[in-house]
Amino acid sequence: MSSDVRFTDFKSDKQPTWCPGCGDFGTMNGMMKALAETGNDPDNTFVVAGIGCSGKIGTYMHSYALHGVHGRALPVATGVKMARPDIEVMAAGGDGDGYSIGAGHFVHAVRRNVDMSYVVMDNRIYGLTKGQASPTSRSDFETSTTPEGPKQPPVNPLALALASGASFIAQSFASDALRHQEIIQEAIEHDGFGFVNVFSPCVTFNDVDTYDYFRDNLVDLQDEGHDPNDYEAAKEVILDSDKEYQGVMYQDENSVPYHEKHGVTEDMSEIPEGAPEDAMDLVREFY
Amino acid sequence: MAEDLNWAVGGEAGDGIDSTGKIFAQALARAGRHVFTSKDFASRIRGGYTAYKIRTSVEEVQSVVDRLDILVALTQRTIDENLDELHEGSAIIYDGERSWEAEIPDEMTAVDVPLKSLAEDAGGAIMRNIVALGAACKITGFDVEYLDEALEKRFGGKGSQIVENNKEAARLGQEYVEENYDLDHLGYNVETTDNDYVLLNGNEAVGMGAIAAGCRFYSGYPITPATSIMEYLTGRIEDYGGHVVQAEDELSAINMALGAARSGARAMTATSGAGIDLMTETFGLVATSETPLVIADVQRSGPSTGMPTKQEQGDLNMALYGGHGEVPRFVITPTSITECFWKTVEAFNLAEKYQTPVFLVSDLAMSVTEQTFPPEAFDMSEVEIDRGKLVDEDEVDEWLDEQGHFRAHAVTDDGVSPRAIPGTIDGAHMSTGLEHDELGRRTEDQDERVQQVDKRYRKVETAQEEEDWDYREFGDEDADNLILSWGSNEGALVEALDYLEEDGIDVRVISVPYIFPRPDLSDEIEAADDVIVVECNATGQFADLIEHDALTRVKRINKYTGVRFKADELAEQITEQLSAEVPAQ
Ligand SMILES: Cc1ncc(C[n+]2csc(CCOP(=O)(O)OP(=O)(O)O)c2C)c(N)n1
Ligand code: SF4
Repeated sequence: MSSDVRFTDFKSDKQPTWCPGCGDFGTMNGMMKALAETGNDPDNTFVVAGIGCSGKIGTYMHSYALHGVHGRALPVATGVKMARPDIEVMAAGGDGDGYSIGAGHFVHAVRRNVDMSYVVMDNRIYGLTKGQASPTSRSDFETSTTPEGPKQPPVNPLALALASGASFIAQSFASDALRHQEIIQEAIEHDGFGFVNVFSPCVTFNDVDTYDYFRDNLVDLQDEGHDPNDYEAAKEVILDSDKEYQGVMYQDENSVPYHEKHGVTEDMSEIPEGAPEDAMDLVREFY
Repeated sequence: MAEDLNWAVGGEAGDGIDSTGKIFAQALARAGRHVFTSKDFASRIRGGYTAYKIRTSVEEVQSVVDRLDILVALTQRTIDENLDELHEGSAIIYDGERSWEAEIPDEMTAVDVPLKSLAEDAGGAIMRNIVALGAACKITGFDVEYLDEALEKRFGGKGSQIVENNKEAARLGQEYVEENYDLDHLGYNVETTDNDYVLLNGNEAVGMGAIAAGCRFYSGYPITPATSIMEYLTGRIEDYGGHVVQAEDELSAINMALGAARSGARAMTATSGAGIDLMTETFGLVATSETPLVIADVQRSGPSTGMPTKQEQGDLNMALYGGHGEVPRFVITPTSITECFWKTVEAFNLAEKYQTPVFLVSDLAMSVTEQTFPPEAFDMSEVEIDRGKLVDEDEVDEWLDEQGHFRAHAVTDDGVSPRAIPGTIDGAHMSTGLEHDELGRRTEDQDERVQQVDKRYRKVETAQEEEDWDYREFGDEDADNLILSWGSNEGALVEALDYLEEDGIDVRVISVPYIFPRPDLSDEIEAADDVIVVECNATGQFADLIEHDALTRVKRINKYTGVRFKADELAEQITEQLSAEVPAQ
């Protein structure tokens, strides 16, 4: 990895088609800056994206990347990291992608503690499909498919992560550029699954969870003197549904990533030109 | 055929039927005899009838037959289920001391052995099956030393005491029969040879093929009958720097394998039935992102959860057409256990050469059947690895556009683009399930769309020209009767030839290991009077393809009882079909 990498190196020359003002712009800038700041370079980075407005992020960034099918970014990213522990892996997507269709994968990627960062652009709405309720929409939030609100409580992704045994849980706000970047950096540097739920407002379909709403209500855990290594304290802020927090809520200091636990250290892309030298032993086993 | 010995052990699931059978099969293989095993099992863990059958001969055996010579029966149901196959010379070993009163037809020989109490004498009731094996050795004149060797192999890891106890159990069973019965009139005398054979099943052969081919990453979700591929690889692939992940579901399994493949590892997933349905979503992504991936489907009876432990070849259409939109892919169908090995190796090469999904479609019968082979049948020095157009740092330059972007989906004459894996400097690129341009970026431009679709299909055309999509052939090449088959039916067909020959019927058998692309059989079909397609499904999915290719009608033999074809049964049905009318045009 070269030391002179700039965050613009992670930018592709494709112009984003996001609505002007979409939170995903800020989320992406922070991700690119954090990748550059942590010493990564596009040729050694793999970004896996979901489907949704948020999922388009892989297109606007430059690195090795896969834009897969809806909800499956985490399994793909897991496969990449297992095969290539030498590569920096980042997954990104929306709240629908991650907590609805991909919720099963979320729980398992968290508990596997795969060494990667996962950035969810949480706009509490389905953007790309034009404004239906998402798993994080408020229970009285009126949308085209829920004219009287979903009438079910929103998923608390942080609590879901905590309950799944997460080793790193954080939340950030796309428009608080510096703090957002800092938090993503910490997720990248974490040895294990670095999960960041990002408030990334949808200016077109969500007039409740707006920039102003978050600006007015956001509490920064750093200002509160929160200790992320304190599990009980983490539990408290994560389960506190009265406030919106940003910052690193929880980090397990003893986190050991999945591939290390399983002794995977080698780059799996290199294989011999024929069968392995001792391959006849595999046959002899059946004597 | 007279030299065959057909042996079985049956009881309730949980009675250790499988390991008892396996030990005896291994002993026979060690004695240089050919072995072909089959299993009847119900989809439950405890209770329910289950049996392990062995056909053994000094000649090669590749099929089951309707005959049972020695039966170890742990339950009355074992006897009842097999009545059709038992005959006058059959011996039935059972334990008269147990609470059930065995009802054994008079013409058969009942061999009452106190299996449980002898096992207790040897050190534990659990060894009653081994006592029965000792008794079987005595009845068949089979040297118990081979059984001892198999016991050492089986229990060696558990300490010498366990091995000794088991050997003792076998000896007690043998002695009991010797002292209490005179069974020479049955005429069993199992010959041995100096041949060395290995004994393995189709799934083990697939797993072994994967390792030989350099597979490093496997992800799967347990499902019968595919699971044993994952079990084989777990604990072995690590020795070669690989890893197995048990995923949370099949959606995850195939996507993980895709991730590993995109980052340059040879990767594979395997499943069956409902699992292949779940994976279907990702087939298109594998194809459009041009990721080399091997996807194995070990077929079982469907639809839905169907009959999970029963044989069927009902997924051919799914393998060919599954997935929305049009997905270029290869479909390979091994026809024997050795082919399970070789076609797996080939599947990895084709996947990387053409950067496409390759379906390796086998079936339950092949996956659980153990068969003996000379070890040379798996000669590893013959394994060739072809990684296709994998470009390194020096070669990347040739594939950059004017702005220095890597053209990962470059439109080429042969349809195959260069492949750069993460870490390759200047090779960074995006791939997506969306339609894209040469750089992998989303496009809805009409020309670019057409170029990419054509390019992906051009890979298939190139492969059609460059690779051998041949077939395996048996019987009389000039016969007027042509039998076509795919998958595991081959063995039974080969043996059916003997029965047909006895009746003076000549047939030519063509067994097809490639469904897409597949060999052009129109000349062979034209040259034949009668064409019969044999397969384990109700509708004749392969027969449909053949009719479509050759623009003709064929006769069909379809079996969908959940049980594989038997050689004698097939011979009968072929004879019947030969005199039947060809279905109307
Ligand atoms: C299997 C499948 N079902 C449905 C869709 C349609 N779809 C595309 S994006 C999306 C939801 C996106 O919401 P979210 O993840 O919150 O992302 P956002 O667009 O808000 O960023 C849906 C339902 C799809 N592409 N695939
Ligand atoms: S619809 Fe909403 S989420 Fe999508 S681009 Fe526009 S503002 Fe962003």
